Amino acid sequence: MFRTIGLLLPALIPSWRFFKTVAPSPRIHYRLDGGDWQPVRPRPQSVSFARMMRRMLWNPRRNEELFLVTLSERLVEAPNAFCVNEINARVARIVGAPRGASLQFRLTFITREEGQIVNYDLFQSEPWVLP
Amino acid sequence: MSFDLALRATEVLLALAILQHSAEHLVAPMAERRLFIPRMALAVLVLAGVGAWAVWALWLWGLVILRRFDGPYNGGSDKMTLLVLTCVALVYLAPTPRWQEMALAYLAVQLTLSYFVSGWIKVINPTWRSGEALCDVFRYSAYPVSRNLRGFANWPGLLFVASWAVMGLELVFPLTLLHPNALIVGLALCALFHISNACFFGLNRFVWAWISAFPSLIWFQDRIL
Repeated sequence: MFRTIGLLLPALIPSWRFFKTVAPSPRIHYRLDGGDWQPVRPRPQSVSFARMMRRMLWNPRRNEELFLVTLSERLVEAPNAFCVNEINARVARIVGAPRGASLQFRLTFITREEGQIVNYDLFQSEPWVLP
Repeated sequence: MSFDLALRATEVLLALAILQHSAEHLVAPMAERRLFIPRMALAVLVLAGVGAWAVWALWLWGLVILRRFDGPYNGGSDKMTLLVLTCVALVYLAPTPRWQEMALAYLAVQLTLSYFVSGWIKVINPTWRSGEALCDVFRYSAYPVSRNLRGFANWPGLLFVASWAVMGLELVFPLTLLHPNALIVGLALCALFHISNACFFGLNRFVWAWISAFPSLIWFQDRIL
C-alpha cells in the first residue's frame, strides 16, 4: 500500500523537471555463453519521415527501449532484483536467446567530462541461464 | 468552453491516449497483454461515456500497472496520463460543483506548470543557455531515434536557436492565459513541440498524454478571465 502511494505521488504532484541536465546515458550490451558483447537493438542509420509519422500512433519497440533506459538508470541508482530480472527477460526476448543459453548484460553510461565524451561500465549482471 | 464540455473532451482524449498507449503492449508477452487488454476495455467504456465507475476502474487499473512496472513504464507520459485520470476521477467524486471545478482547475494549473517549470530549470542552467545541453542530447543521449540524427550535434548554431525557442515557449506559456487567441496559439505551438519530440526522440506517448489535458486549460482560462 505505502509502495503504491509512493509510486503514485510523483504523478499527482509532479516536479516537471524535464532535462534539467543531460544525465549520463545508458547503453545495454549483452553476451550469450560468454561470447562477444553486442549492443541490444542498435539504432538504425536513419528513420524516414513517413515512419516517424506512423510511430506517432504505433511505437512499441521504441517505448520498450525507453523503458530499458529507465530500468538501467534505476538499477545503477539502487541495485535491485526487479530491474535485473526485467532487463534479463526483455533482452532475452529481443535478441532471441535460446533456452539453456547463459545471458549476461552490461550497462555502459556515456557522459561528458571536461569537454570529452567518456564511457563507464557501471553494472554487469551475473550469468542467467534461460529456462 | 463549458465545464461539462471540457470534462467530456478531456475524458475522450484521455481514453484515446490510453488506447494508443495500451495497444503498443499487445505485441508484448501474454502476461503483459493480460494487463493491458482490460485497460483498453475500460478506456472504451470511458470513451462511450458510461459514467464514473469506468473512470475509477481505469484509475485503479492504472495503479496495478504502476505496481507491475515498479513505477511508470513510460516516464513523464505515464505520469501525465495518471494525473489527468486522477483529476477526472476526482471530478466524479467531488460533492459540489465548486469542488468539481477545483479538480479540473488543478489539472489546468499542472499543465501550465509542466511547461513553465520545465523552461525555468533549463534557463537557469548555463549549458542550456549556450545550446550545449541540446548538443549533448543529440550527441550521446539515448533519445535520438537514428544515428543520422546525432549529426545535429555538429550544428551548434541551429541547436542554440532551438534551445532558446523551446525555453522561450515554455517560459512565456503562462502568459497565453491572458487572451483566448493567445492560448490557442500557445497550445498549437506546444502540440508541435511534442510532435517534434516524437519525431526526433520517439516520445510519441507524450503527444497524446499532454493533448488530453488541453481542454481543461481552455475551460480554466474561460473561467478565470
